[in-house]
Amino acid sequence: MNTRPIVAASPEALQIVTFDAAMEARIAELLPRYPTRRAAILPVLWLCQERFGWISPGVVAAVAARLGEAPAFVEGVVSFYTMYQTAPPARYVLQVCTTLSCAWCGGRELVAHLKERLGISFGEITPDGTFQLVGVQCLGACGQAPVIQINDDYYENLDIAKLDAILDELAGRS
Amino acid sequence: MPKLTIDGHEVEVAAGTNLIEAARAAGVAIPYFCYHPYLTVVGQCRICMVEIAGQPRLALGCATPAADGMVVKVESSERAREAREAVMEFLLANHPLDCPVCDQAGECLLQDHSMREQNSAFSTHMTETRRTFPGYERRLIGPHVVQNQNRCIHCSRCIRFTREISGTAALTYKSRGNSTFIDTFDGTAFDDPMSACAADVCPVGALTVREFRFRKRSWKLLSTPSVCPGCSIGCNIFIDHHERVVYRFTPRENPAINATWLCDHGRFLAESLNEQAYLEPQHRTGGQTVRVGWGEALAGIAAELRDAAALRVVASANLSNEELFLARELFGRHLKGEIAVPVAPGEPRKMRNGKGDWLQATDPHPNSAGARRLGINVVDGEGLSRFLYGGAGLTLILDPGAHPFLASPEALQLLRVGTTVVWARREHAAAHAATWLLPTPSLAGNEGTFTSSAGAVQRFVQAFTAPGTVHRTATGAMSPSCPTIASPWGPPGEARPLWLTLTALAHELGVPALDFASPADVFAVMARNDKAFAGLAWETLGGLQQHESFRERQHVG
Repeated sequence: MNTRPIVAASPEALQIVTFDAAMEARIAELLPRYPTRRAAILPVLWLCQERFGWISPGVVAAVAARLGEAPAFVEGVVSFYTMYQTAPPARYVLQVCTTLSCAWCGGRELVAHLKERLGISFGEITPDGTFQLVGVQCLGACGQAPVIQINDDYYENLDIAKLDAILDELAGRS
Repeated sequence: MPKLTIDGHEVEVAAGTNLIEAARAAGVAIPYFCYHPYLTVVGQCRICMVEIAGQPRLALGCATPAADGMVVKVESSERAREAREAVMEFLLANHPLDCPVCDQAGECLLQDHSMREQNSAFSTHMTETRRTFPGYERRLIGPHVVQNQNRCIHCSRCIRFTREISGTAALTYKSRGNSTFIDTFDGTAFDDPMSACAADVCPVGALTVREFRFRKRSWKLLSTPSVCPGCSIGCNIFIDHHERVVYRFTPRENPAINATWLCDHGRFLAESLNEQAYLEPQHRTGGQTVRVGWGEALAGIAAELRDAAALRVVASANLSNEELFLARELFGRHLKGEIAVPVAPGEPRKMRNGKGDWLQATDPHPNSAGARRLGINVVDGEGLSRFLYGGAGLTLILDPGAHPFLASPEALQLLRVGTTVVWARREHAAAHAATWLLPTPSLAGNEGTFTSSAGAVQRFVQAFTAPGTVHRTATGAMSPSCPTIASPWGPPGEARPLWLTLTALAHELGVPALDFASPADVFAVMARNDKAFAGLAWETLGGLQQHESFRERQHVG
């Protein structure tokens, strides 16, 4: 299993954000691909999420300053898109498909099982900070339903036994 | 110049005019919520849809420029009416019907439009309960603005205002779809020098001004056109008042100066107009203060003026041109006294005009330019101190608020040396050093003109006290301009405008040339004799005649 845990920076660490040389280099590489700096907000935010694990107000301010936008505007953009994390995420974010194909093929049972096993509902994080449960719409892998996306990786054709094995391994790693 | 027909009215408008403004010129009201003449057009609210002959789809009145030969139907189009009804149903689906407790009621575009089309039965297909934003019903988002997100119709006017006009870009939409709401970055205070304008542009009661909330129903207010006394830029305002109490300033449209904006500093001076520390003339003799009538006071002061060996007059850049002119003529020319106008340093202020340019000022007085143009000696604090040290038998302080130095112990000591006459409204130390104290009313009780730092001579109208108050009428017309006050010897217990006491003093002193009946008469003489005012006519000053204000225009229907 290749799934890498998310290393989220602490809120304190992200109060005031400055981009290091590596980040600046990646931003500089991105900018020429877009007609305006405003158009580069999304990819730059994505870079930040990769780097810091989530988008804090400090990150928003830094991105706004870097791209010459108002912080309020950038924060509005962040709040519009559901894939930007606005709070420190768990090490493993379980995005469970709740749309029709998955639901029919056992997705509903997976959700019920996850909720029971982890003791949390959608949008919550386990107390040890290992798992976060998120209900999402179609992940575009209906042929392999039911599907769960854990961090950047898809786990397909799942059933309860397979899911438990995956969770055991991920929990064991941490 | 495209010529078009709107609901049967033919109208010719400047190229580039949109259909809303063209219809307004034709006397047809196209409703709108998100459109604002000084903000970019976004076409978000969809209420301004009209039918254009030859076009299969309805068009947006805000985003469609008038074209030659266009035939537009607004009221006369059944399709447009249906579309408006559908938009209203959509907007009202989640809008709380709390008009009875909403502070915007009476000046709410949504309410106005509901009332206007109430004959057609508004219906709703909604069976769900209304969307609410718990915790956002009465949230103080800045020092002056209160948010009720439940009422928001997502027109984005406030957001565009902070992005395009005030330049702080402090407001934004957050989240999306049905749960979109207005917020600042990271919940920080909406600290914008023009923050209350965001509440002004809000077409509904989602943003309201904290200082005005629940103090007065808007339809009870009379609006008197005036000029902001906050600095030398000279923004045009309405003084909104009721029963001789000033409740607020609201911006009055003037494209050359303040478009439809007003800074918070100027706006919230409104409350200070209600201060009236002194109501009757007072005379201090032998350590005792006695209240006297106006006749006695003016006779006494006239006697002092006749007997004075030397006369010094501290005028003020807060006085009107007419008052400065009268002071110059009476005290300078006739009585050979010395006059100085002190100008205090002030905070930097700025305002964006209708073209989007910033106007700047650091002068805290509304009429320094007028004093300069009248050729009166303008001095700074040091100059004022020297002026007072010059020593005189008789010193007149026409406005103790003219300069902070007048409240200093040093100045008070100087004032106590000779005889001092002080005209004052607000509590001031100089008033206690006065031999004669004469009460003056606030800006709302006076009338005259100010000259802005850019040279615009603008008239402010008396809001109350005297008969002939000018108010806003349904059509936006102003009632007759200048009330003539029959007798300067009004009832006791009343503050009298400075111009009135100066003309009365001229009468006492036997200077009939300065015994004017009104500021209009003073101005007529100034326009004849003074280069600075040549060619100006009282009736047409300060845009009072040229158009209905935007606030009135907002309330078409």
